[in-house]
Parts: sequence; C-alpha cells; structure tokens
Amino acid sequence: MSLPSLEPLIETRRVVLCVGCGGVGKTTVAAALALAAAQRGRRVLCLTIDPARRLANSLGLDRMTGEAQRVDEALFRQAGVQVRGELTLMMLDTKRTFDELVTRHASSREARDRILNNRLYQYVSTSLAGTQEYMAMEKLLAVQQDSSYDLIVLDTPPTSNALDFLDAPERITQAIDSAAMRWFIQAFESSGKFSLNLVAKSVALVLKGIGRLTGGGFLEQMAEFVTELNDLFGGFKSRAAQVAAAFRSPDFAYVLVTSPAPMAIREVLYFAERLSEQGMAQDAFVVNRLHRAPRSVATLTEAEDAIQRHGLTLGEGAAERLVRAVTEEQQLADLDRRHLATLQAALKSKQGEPTTQVLIPALPSDVHDIATLVGIAELLAPSARAA
Amino acid sequence: MRPLEDRRFLFVTGKGGVGKTTIAAALAERFAAQGKRVLLTVCDAKERTSQLLGVPALTQDLREVKPRLYAVKITAERAMEEYGLMILRSRTMYSAVFDNRFTRGFFKGVPGLYEWAMLGKAWYHSIEEQDDGAPRFDVVLFDAPATGHGLDMLRVPKIITEVVPPGILRRDAERAYTMFRDPEQSGVVVVTLPEDMPTSETLELYEALTNELRLPVARLVINGVIEPLFSPEEQHELLKDRTLNRSLPGDEALSGGIRRVIRERVQEESLARLAALPVARTELPLLLKEAQTPEAVQELAALLR
Repeated sequence: MSLPSLEPLIETRRVVLCVGCGGVGKTTVAAALALAAAQRGRRVLCLTIDPARRLANSLGLDRMTGEAQRVDEALFRQAGVQVRGELTLMMLDTKRTFDELVTRHASSREARDRILNNRLYQYVSTSLAGTQEYMAMEKLLAVQQDSSYDLIVLDTPPTSNALDFLDAPERITQAIDSAAMRWFIQAFESSGKFSLNLVAKSVALVLKGIGRLTGGGFLEQMAEFVTELNDLFGGFKSRAAQVAAAFRSPDFAYVLVTSPAPMAIREVLYFAERLSEQGMAQDAFVVNRLHRAPRSVATLTEAEDAIQRHGLTLGEGAAERLVRAVTEEQQLADLDRRHLATLQAALKSKQGEPTTQVLIPALPSDVHDIATLVGIAELLAPSARAA
Repeated sequence: MRPLEDRRFLFVTGKGGVGKTTIAAALAERFAAQGKRVLLTVCDAKERTSQLLGVPALTQDLREVKPRLYAVKITAERAMEEYGLMILRSRTMYSAVFDNRFTRGFFKGVPGLYEWAMLGKAWYHSIEEQDDGAPRFDVVLFDAPATGHGLDMLRVPKIITEVVPPGILRRDAERAYTMFRDPEQSGVVVVTLPEDMPTSETLELYEALTNELRLPVARLVINGVIEPLFSPEEQHELLKDRTLNRSLPGDEALSGGIRRVIRERVQEESLARLAALPVARTELPLLLKEAQTPEAVQELAALLR
C-alpha cells in the first residue's frame, strides 16, 4: 500500500494554492511542498505572504523581499539534500504589487502619477482589508505567465476567514466597476453641473442622504478616484472574470491545510464546501501539527529503571515527572485523534471518492532548518525509494 | 495592575488559533460574575461563542444570555443599516439610501466601510446610556478577527479621520478613535501562545498598536502555558547524546522527557521575549482536555485576573 502523497499535484499542476485559516502552519507546508517539487526537478516559485524570519534564514535569505530570491544549491548540498530543480522564494508586497499594476496599465505618465499620488489610493493600496487578498491574486496571475517557473506554490493570506480570499476581488470590483458606480458617477456629474431639477428625485435624495453621512465632497472624491482606476484597467470587471476563470482552471490545485483544533477543522470544512460550490476542486487535505502519541506510557518503576540504566543524574521525583511528560503527550494525542476523526467523518459523508489526506506530526519547536523542512516535504510527498 | 473591567471598551485580538474567542468568552463570564453588565460582541458569522458559553446560538438581536452577560452577533450589513437609520432618522430617507440595489453594491465595496460599521456598532453600545443617564453596559468586549484583519479594523477609524471630509461619519470615527486611545476608557487585550511564531507576531502587533495607532494595550494573555517539569541542570542532562531503545517504555519516557525539554525551552525563550513588553501579563495553563466547552471557559475565567 502506498502512503498518501501530494506528488501527483506538484508534478503535474501549474499552481498549488495552500489555503486554510491562520495559525495552522500554512507557510511551512507551502515551503515544504515547494521544496518537494524542486527535489523532483521542477523549477518552483514559492510565493509567501508572511514568512517566519527563521524559515527564511534557514534558506539562506537574510530577509524575504518582494524580489524573487533563488535558494543557493550549496545550502541544500550542505544539508545533504539533492535538489535537481530550483527553488525560488518571493514575498508578497501588497503596495508594490498594486503600484506595479498601476504603472503597467496607466495610459500616460500623468495618469499613473495622478493615481499613485491620490490620497484614497494610498489607503486602499496599503492598509485596507481585502487589498492583500486581491493583490495576492494579481501577483499570482502575473507570475503565472513567467516561463522560468514550472510550478508556483502560493501561501494564501492568513485570514481569520479563509473565505475572504475568494471574495476579495469580487468585493473590490463590485465597488469599482459596477452598475452602481456608473450610476453614482453619472449622478455626481449631473448634480454638479446641472441644477438638481435635472436629476431624478430619488437620486438627489440618495446623494443627500449619503452626503449627510460622509460630509460633502467625499463621494465625489471617491467617484473621481474610481473613474481614474477604471480607465486604467479597462474595466476591473473583466479582470475579475479572468481571475475567477484562472482559479477554476484544472492547472490549479487546492491544498487545504488545517490543524487538529476544532475551530480550524470547522473552518476548513466550511472552506471545502465553498470551494465545491464555486466549482473548484479540493485536491488534498493536510492536517498539520498533530500531537504524536508516545509509543508507550511507562510506569514509575520503568522510568526509574531507565534513569538508572542510562546513568542519568536527575533531581528528586524525576521518574514521576518523566511519566507525567509522556502521559500529557498521550492526552494531547488522544484529543487530536478525536478531532481528526470528526474531520474524516465529515469528509467521508460529503465526498464520493476520498481526497488525499496527509498527516504531519507536531514538532517540539518551529521549523527553522533545511533538514526539518525536508522531513516535512518527505511526509507530504514520500519519495519512491524503489529505484 | 489596573483592573481590565474598569474600562468601557476592550478589543480582544491575536493571531489565528491562539484561543482569542475562548478568552473573550472567559473575560465576559468573569466580568459578569463580578457583577458587571457586560456586552460581548462577535463578528464571526459562524459564531461559536454560544457553544463556549453554553447558550443558544447568538443572533443579530442583542440579548441577555446569562445574568448580566449580553451578547450579539454583528454582521456588516445589519450594522450598516442600523447606523444609516440612526443618522438619517427618517425611514423614507433610509429606504432611498439603503434599499437600493445600487447603493448596496457600493457600500459593500467601499473599502473599510463595512469594518467601520461593525466596530462602530460595538463602540456605540459602549457609550449608550439608559434613561437615567447611567451607561447601558459597564464593559463592551469586542472579539476581533485574527491579527491581520483585526489590525485593519482598528485602523479604519484613524483612516476615516484622515480621509473623509467633516461630517457625521468623520465625527463618529473621531469620537471612537479618541476613546480607543484613552487608557482610562479602552484597551486592547492581546492573546498569544508561548511559541516562537506567535510570539514574533505578537511583538509586531504590539509595535503596530502602540506606535502606529497609539492604542493602549491593556493586557497580554498568554494561553496554553505548560508547567516546566525539569530544572536547567536536568534539561542539560536529558539533552546529552545517548542511544535510546524507544520500544522500551522506560526509554520512551526519557525520549518524552527530551521532547518536553525542547518545548519548555521554546516556551521559556518566548516568555522572556514577551516579558520585554511593558504590559501586564496573564498566563493561562494548557488544558489537557476539550477547551471549547462551557466548563473549560469557566475554568479559564476563574484564572483571568
């Protein structure tokens, strides 16, 4: 019997998206998957959102930047790992991605500067909810065209709600290129240039109402900004459609990452449901950070005996404390196993054919060296040692 | 340390998976047990706070779920409507603005507006008064989305004060932001775990809260703390190189001891990094049983001082 493996995904797909809620170790799983693919000879770009500094350091990068940084082969050799392909890492820089988008599409230098210097743009491009998710998608579409990579592994933003990731572009485009916006812009133009008599009464009422809320001039500012952006992208709406189509392409694989925590499981099941509603596949589940059960729980005598046998000098009551350490490991493992069973039962009842499930044990400390990352890669996609 | 419950508005936040919602529920239980009138506001559409409190599902209608403990599920759409109705005062005006398919799409898309509506509703309840002028609630707890978005949400009032022209929206955002910055009235409760990555993220969050947003961090709650079992000498002794035959229960116990030592060291290092922050800390033990139960929440509530 072969072990469950993500190998078919990393060997055949163009893009692998790791999704799941925050705090489940998505970034590590994405990096390990990318490494597993590179070991198999693929040229891989791992696009990450918020990498742990120690993980970046272990890959020889002082810090992650918005630039693509290739991991030095020498590091792999030192760690005794054979990497036939290439591993490149890049961090998503939301503001920069947005700026690049503007620069690429602006019809003139003036138009570009008008947008980049717009006060609303400054906020929209840096600090508002949804922008990061949207830019992650934009960046993904941009690098997808890049023929220097065979595979792109994307670590999605750590939303509390995995669903936001899929909704973000729609939410933003709804405001920017919608019938509503056109209607508003028209209304502003007419209410500014002509007397209110010319504007339908209902429109005037709405504008008056919103004006009361936001103060004078804000919506006009907003409308102006949006008109400018719209010009730029020749319709955000068609772009959103393009994004949506790409995300349903058979070239894309979705790997749902969760921890055994009930909240994470609930979230991942909800997300799986959303994916299938939207016609996207759930290609695999990774349950990360499962507490491993000890092989056995020693009796006090057995622990005392082992301390003596190995000639250990420990304080009073050490045997008891050792037994407690393994007992607590057993308790945590039992809890996780119960939670995992609920996930597996839910998946079984929902799906005809079983999805690949990979279990990754919890490590006593975070991943910050290549050897540990290789260990996780090996669990995600066990290498065929037969040959 | 200044009691948390003396503040009118508490914003509970932290990285995903650290137990933020559980802590928010435990704080609510604790304050109510102390005789305070508490409102717990939850932004998650699939809320599980009711399960933690052992009460029927929360709804968008604010209700007293336990003596003195009020709870409400806040959704952006409803909050926006309530806000609109409050400001526009007339139903006709309200319908014209909000019952309109164009405006609905628009409001949903304006970045930050929905976040403000949710935060603004919770804030509004914290300044709400009863007929006799007494505050309706002693404490309002806001169970914020996980870090990234929680911070985005806290940024919104500041952004509104900077971008939006004078008007009702700006006036309210200014009032809320002023109150949020006042350590006498408000505070952020940051929840974290004694592990490497959550600690790094907490340090960054603290930095953003105090330097960028100038919001007072009222408390750091460190969840899931394990009891150190081994002294530094014992740690050193256990970590020495030796060959263990893990199929023997005694050797497996030694192996478990080594794993424990590694965890204890990670915890010790994380706690030391967190101790560098000038903020009061509360450590809560790792529960070796189901943590998402009313019993567990009560247990934690008793430990939250």
